[in-house]
Amino acid sequence: MASIMRPGVLRQACTKPAASQRMLSTFTSSARNRPLGQQLRPAFQRASIPQSTRIAAFHATQRNQLLPALPQKVVGTTNDPTPVPDPDYAHGSYHWSFERIISAGLVPLTIAPFAAGSLNPVTDSILCALLVVHSHIGFESSIIDYFPKSRVPLVRASLMWALRISTVAVGLALYSFETNDVGVTEAVLRLWHA
Amino acid sequence: MACTRTLARLATRRTVVRPAVFSRGFASVTDTHARDPLSKVGEKIVPDAERKPIPESKTSTVQEPDPSKDAKTKTFHIYRWNPDEPSSKPQMQTYTLDLNKTGPMMLDALIRIKNEVDPTLTFRRSCREGICGSCAMNIDGVNTLACLCRIPTDTAKESRIYPLPHMYVVKDLVPDMTLFYKQYRSVKPYLQRSTAAPDGREFRQSKEDRKKLDGLYECILCACCSTSCPSYWWNQEEYLGPAVLLQSYRWIADSRDEKKAERQDALNNSMSLYRCHTILNCSRTCPKGLNPALAIAEIKKSMAFT
Repeated sequence: MASIMRPGVLRQACTKPAASQRMLSTFTSSARNRPLGQQLRPAFQRASIPQSTRIAAFHATQRNQLLPALPQKVVGTTNDPTPVPDPDYAHGSYHWSFERIISAGLVPLTIAPFAAGSLNPVTDSILCALLVVHSHIGFESSIIDYFPKSRVPLVRASLMWALRISTVAVGLALYSFETNDVGVTEAVLRLWHA
Repeated sequence: MACTRTLARLATRRTVVRPAVFSRGFASVTDTHARDPLSKVGEKIVPDAERKPIPESKTSTVQEPDPSKDAKTKTFHIYRWNPDEPSSKPQMQTYTLDLNKTGPMMLDALIRIKNEVDPTLTFRRSCREGICGSCAMNIDGVNTLACLCRIPTDTAKESRIYPLPHMYVVKDLVPDMTLFYKQYRSVKPYLQRSTAAPDGREFRQSKEDRKKLDGLYECILCACCSTSCPSYWWNQEEYLGPAVLLQSYRWIADSRDEKKAERQDALNNSMSLYRCHTILNCSRTCPKGLNPALAIAEIKKSMAFT
């Protein structure tokens, strides 16, 4: 009764497809994906549109996009500046300086044992330690780039923890390799001559 | 009495499980969007996030109005999207122009298309000499100013024109620059001083100090560099992008400015500046020949160990 008297109520109900229409298709286009012309038709006419036009072409899997762009959202008015974050030196300039020192230090450390022709366990262990830190910083940077905290906070956190755990594991493995086995430089030498 | 009133309210309140049809609504307030204007309805339709444009092979071609005999006919494929039809996909529209009747620059071709072939084509342009930065667009895969980009005279090759990549499109070749300008505003692009000049006249600068601003002040904020930066594509909301960082450095390097430390602190976090991974797309694409990557490197150097 109510629906006949107030078509507005019915229209709202009709925008959500009934279960029976959804049953035989893998993908029912929701109301927002429907073409505009269909949206604007009166409710009764829209209900009589053949179902085939509502159902997307058959696909076993839906198109799967990693982080598609969201609709545009302007925070504040157009004349407000974007918020300036608080200074965070540990993740800002100190982090960058530290990273550069490690990257620059890796170059002589990689060349030195081969140039000198002698194997020193101290340089070897420093090389190992810097390699682990360097790769940790690199992977961390990739995670920050590709998994924004605002959109996928859980994925971001879990990946960060996975990275930390694997960095520790690699560190332990290299430690045992250095102490119980021949060491990184010697291993590279042997592989080179193998 | 109070009890019955609460019960009545419970009975009329619409819950999540109950469909709207069975609940008693008050006059015409259940569907507040029923009488929205057409534009509102259009706004509510959320388009598929990464719709590719309909390729030019599936669209029609608009020919040159009256082709002459020895015409040098060049084909232009131009990205078209109309906000009045928000649910239709963007498409590539093909136009052919006789280069003998067209000016040498891409902007001339666009203006000619708009004047003589298709007045619905939309793009920004103003100065037609590379000083306003309005006509920034992606031409043949490179972000550049249409007014500074020559039409390749090789007619066998077809030109493709898109709006700036990874920006929200307003219409056709017009991108939405709101966020870009908001970010520019956030670096406070103006002289900040609390002390007066020593002789009470203008703030003076030595020739050496003035030289530091060369290559920085020429930036016209066309956003070609920012929109060519993959880091800016992925983290637009937080990373400022090369153009804005170059502007920030323009004020950090200015000897008259007294807020250098504050300006540096504003950039000193993980996202604003340090998402630059020296990809150098910005320096490669800059239509004014500036070097935003160098400016970013200078900021990083000046902030090292501080």
